[in-house]
Amino acid sequence: MTKETDCAIEVDKLTKRYVDLLAVDDISFSVIKGEVFALLGPNGAGKTTTVEIIDTIRTPTSGKVTLLGMDVTKKKHDVVRRIGVLPQGFSSFDRITVRETMQYFSRLFGCTSIDIDELIELVNLKDKAKEQYKNLSGGLRQRLGIAIALVNDPEVVFLDEPTTGLDPRARREVWEVLQGLKKKGKTVFLTTHYMDEAELLADTVTIISKGKIIAVGSPGELIENNANYLVLTLQSVDQKASEIVRKMGFEPVLNNHKDITVRVEQTKDVQIILNAIKDAGALYLGLDVRKPNLEEVFLKLTGEALRDGPGGGRGAE
Amino acid sequence: MNLRVVGANLVVKLMSFYREKTAMFFTIAFPIILILVFGTIFMSQDNVSFHLFVQDLDQTNSSAQSIKTLELNGKFKITTVDPAINATQYVRDNKVNLVLVIPKGYERSLLQRAMLSDSNASVTITYIYDPSSSSVSMKMQILNSVLAEINQKMSGKHPFIRSAETSILTKKYRFIDFFIPGIIAMAVMTLSLFGTVNLNTELRQKGIIRKLSTTPITRTDWILSDILYQFILAIISTIAMLLVSYAVFNVSLHITVWILAFILLDVFAFVGIGMILTRFAKEAQSAAAAANVISFPMMFLSGSFFPIELMPGFLQTIAKILPLYYVNEGLRASMIFEDNIAALRNSAIIGVFAAIVFILGIVATKWEEDQ
Repeated sequence: MTKETDCAIEVDKLTKRYVDLLAVDDISFSVIKGEVFALLGPNGAGKTTTVEIIDTIRTPTSGKVTLLGMDVTKKKHDVVRRIGVLPQGFSSFDRITVRETMQYFSRLFGCTSIDIDELIELVNLKDKAKEQYKNLSGGLRQRLGIAIALVNDPEVVFLDEPTTGLDPRARREVWEVLQGLKKKGKTVFLTTHYMDEAELLADTVTIISKGKIIAVGSPGELIENNANYLVLTLQSVDQKASEIVRKMGFEPVLNNHKDITVRVEQTKDVQIILNAIKDAGALYLGLDVRKPNLEEVFLKLTGEALRDGPGGGRGAE
Repeated sequence: MNLRVVGANLVVKLMSFYREKTAMFFTIAFPIILILVFGTIFMSQDNVSFHLFVQDLDQTNSSAQSIKTLELNGKFKITTVDPAINATQYVRDNKVNLVLVIPKGYERSLLQRAMLSDSNASVTITYIYDPSSSSVSMKMQILNSVLAEINQKMSGKHPFIRSAETSILTKKYRFIDFFIPGIIAMAVMTLSLFGTVNLNTELRQKGIIRKLSTTPITRTDWILSDILYQFILAIISTIAMLLVSYAVFNVSLHITVWILAFILLDVFAFVGIGMILTRFAKEAQSAAAAANVISFPMMFLSGSFFPIELMPGFLQTIAKILPLYYVNEGLRASMIFEDNIAALRNSAIIGVFAAIVFILGIVATKWEEDQ
């Protein structure tokens, strides 16, 4: 257990029950000051409910959340001054420009000392400072949302699915901004259903599924502890190759491009499979051997995929 | 309450309003259109004249003289109907609601009465009318009084009871003067109620309220900024309405500080109601529907368009529990009657109401999401 002073957030036996749904089921975890903490899970897992209880948007059914030493349900007014929040599906006033929006939020916090232009520069919106919100693209809107979350120079920044719905380039640009935050020493609480995002940005990843925490650790630890195997991919195989691998006792997964993916326990298994295919005269065009990623860790732990999780998770999220 | 926060919200709302040209146009145009449409209708009622169709079966000098007398009364524009045609059929075919028929032998009976002093000599003038027409009974009443006057004059005696008119107002007021304060009260109500409901449901659906809940802004700051914003819009549209009223209808109303007071109380009351509706209606559409349910009866029952004395007793009782009634009464008391005591009494009633809904509005507004 870490010392209390090192903890930015402590969540203790947190439960949130909606009328017909147990969204968060008795979870406990802590976030250390200065780290990037990612809550990873599919849609409907309870990520947003959890983060919205911690950042004071919702109230818990039971359990306790301590943020910078304060109980979030009792000290909401003090808590909000020390955190910055990018809510899920962030949106702002349509006809107000980037710079005016920043000024508005800084006035709400009474922050006269903050340099708005510096923040606008931090999220690379300098060219768009005079643009009205309605004219910004999705990526620019998210970056404005992040800048707003920093307007009160918060100690803890909450980013709820900051890159959902963005194209790959816009995502990378948001990631750059987040890496900048990490360098500034902010504690960042991130929720995402993109495992690449968690793997790239997070110091600690907590995997949540159906309201329960199922694994905690750094991305490397999670992979090491939960997915001690290799992933062999054979590209453009014929029917025969797939059959051979199956008969050898492996479980090949075939995709639309006629690639098969096989999990193997040891390096020598790769050699054995390749030899068997060669002996049978079957064909493949390319091959790839890699360590598993968080996506596969998640699949192994829950039996469901991260992005297209069953149920779709409306309501609670 | 934090003035800096209230000010920041007010600035953002006013800038959004100023940049949204269509919203700005309708905020000013809507009450002006109301004034123009209803003003024109009521203006014509002030110097009303009815079309009257007359069929003269007698075709004599005396009957023609009588028709002339009716015309000189000033209330009627007379069209004569050919004596050869069937008057009942004429009413049906031409969508005429009343034909007055002067019978054959009119002149003969008149001479008998006047020259021979035969007090039994009389004539019957027939009204052929369509009872489904709404204005026909009023037309017949006026005709009756004109005919009674003629009868009275023919008797050659002075009437015993006469009437004299003394207005309680120093100037002569027309209906339009009574109408304008009602329209101001109603337009301010509509703007405040729908403005609040639309703005807040939109911000909630877009998730802006959720973001605001993670800032130090309080519900009181938020509602106060809304009230100030709606108050500024209300003043702008009231000025527009008054300018049009003076320019087009040449009204003579007293412009006093009471107008500002009643507009402010009107705004307070209906922003508060709007906040309560926003809280309980989940979707923007149902919030707007609920606002309609509240504003519609208010418009028609509280005396904005017509005096509540025209309504049945139980509706008058209902009118007196509607907040808009007191805004109407108060504005009329100050703008027409210059009655400060009545204005004060009405402002006290609406003030208490506004304070209650304002507090309820603050209590009802929720920042936290509760699914």
